[in-house]
Amino acid sequence: MSGNILEARDLHYRYNDGTHALKGVTVEIKRGKTTAFLGGNGAGKSTLFLSLNGIFKPTAGEVLFKGLPLDYSRKGLKDLRKSVGIVFQDPDNQLFSASVYQDISFGAVNMKLPEEEVRRRVKAAMERTGISHLKDKPTHCLSFGQKKRVAIAGVLVMEPEVLMLDEPTAGLDPIGVSEIMKLIREIQKELGLSVVFSTHDIDIVPLYCDYVYVMDQGRIMLEGTPKEVFSQKEILRSVNLRLPRIGHLMEILREKDGFELDETAVTISEARREFKHWRDTQKK
Amino acid sequence: MISIDKYAYRSKLKAVDPMQKVVFALLTLGVCLWADDLIISVAVIFIMGGMTVLKGGTPLRFFIKLMLVPMSFLFIGVLTVAVKMSQRPEGFLASIAVGGAWIGFSYTGLSEALSLFLKALGAVSCLYFLSLSTPVMDLLAALRRLGLPKLLVELMGLVYRFIFVLIDTADTIYNAQNCRLGYSSLTTGYRSLGSLVSVLFIRAYRRSDELYTALESRGYEGEFNVLEETYVSHRTGYVLAITVNALLVLFAVILRQIKGGALW
Repeated sequence: MSGNILEARDLHYRYNDGTHALKGVTVEIKRGKTTAFLGGNGAGKSTLFLSLNGIFKPTAGEVLFKGLPLDYSRKGLKDLRKSVGIVFQDPDNQLFSASVYQDISFGAVNMKLPEEEVRRRVKAAMERTGISHLKDKPTHCLSFGQKKRVAIAGVLVMEPEVLMLDEPTAGLDPIGVSEIMKLIREIQKELGLSVVFSTHDIDIVPLYCDYVYVMDQGRIMLEGTPKEVFSQKEILRSVNLRLPRIGHLMEILREKDGFELDETAVTISEARREFKHWRDTQKK
Repeated sequence: MISIDKYAYRSKLKAVDPMQKVVFALLTLGVCLWADDLIISVAVIFIMGGMTVLKGGTPLRFFIKLMLVPMSFLFIGVLTVAVKMSQRPEGFLASIAVGGAWIGFSYTGLSEALSLFLKALGAVSCLYFLSLSTPVMDLLAALRRLGLPKLLVELMGLVYRFIFVLIDTADTIYNAQNCRLGYSSLTTGYRSLGSLVSVLFIRAYRRSDELYTALESRGYEGEFNVLEETYVSHRTGYVLAITVNALLVLFAVILRQIKGGALW
């Protein structure tokens, strides 16, 4: 069995209004890893996600799940959606029920599981996402971050193998961002899920993912580990993205201020290591 | 409406099985209408008010404020019952002569009006008890168990969920318009309101589209299959409902005997 749980091969998608949203996208989602899709607004990230989940049927090209092309029949899609869950960007578009408990149970009930099993899963999902205390609150009284957690729990009850999150950090405050990303990483580690998320928040990419795809105007512009991708700063800048702040700082220190540093440091811990190393070489 | 929703979620009676509350409220409502008696109506108002305020913990002020809401309708409605017309001036407590007839308040007219007034208030208090102790979602669960069509219950649930999103969206648009002097004069006000409504419609339409996509990805196949929370269901709720209403009925019967009217 290949290490790719999801694959897209030369995927094209054209909306009814003629917008060519995906122009030959080839990606491989590795099993058990966290993959990020980085791109500005309108880069095609959401379209790609909906294609990987079988909601959109590609105009050309194919999507493979566990090495097999997607089966777009009713039953095939049902099976796929059990395994590939999406958390949408705006939780208000996802939560249909005013009752937190009912909303979370929805996906599991649709899988025709016995009631006991559904209740167990709902409880587990609420505990995992830290929302057990919200179970008696109506959806409309929750904060944005809380709604986001409910939305994640609503997907987790289906116990998917792939968890896709469209812009999980959009609209959250800084604490909210790091909390939700930590939660996602925790879920990924403990349940051994493959996580895929899209974002335009560059600074979280080196912290939370194993592999990155950079998208622009329906195409994949770059791919690789965060270190590899962030060493291609010209391409990044050409698609309206930038280096992580730390990476940018390291670049300036090296090029303008004459520090002899390895400019690929893009996170705080990498930069610290770099500076400690620099200090030690200075002492000698 | 929104404050009723808030109090319902805060009510100490929230954890009670909604079915029991529905049975209690509707049974009492029925008895109140059937008894058609001043004293019974007052008793119902006090029972329901007492349950809501003392057991449910809703502030008394808020309950009284709610009871005042239907007052103006009631006064106008009841006035037509209280005012009578007759060929002779006898029997009126106060009257004025209009042409060859007399128009005014008679004793029977007034007492009829008063009992109608209190009966209506009694009925309203039953519904207030229900809505102040039972959040909409719980009520819908009870309605589903009562065998109401699934589609209807699902629609009510969706309307309830998205009414808050709609209000929020309308509020944001209104504020954005107001900040740019969109409501500074009557004509611009009307124009702004028009565009608010059309934008709201488009947003709602798009949101429904996105909701459908999200539902589909969670295995939606045309039905909202969900699990409801379990309630601590003691029989005491039903026992209470039946006891209270049996007492009310008994009391009503005795009152009728005293007045010498027909039993049924």
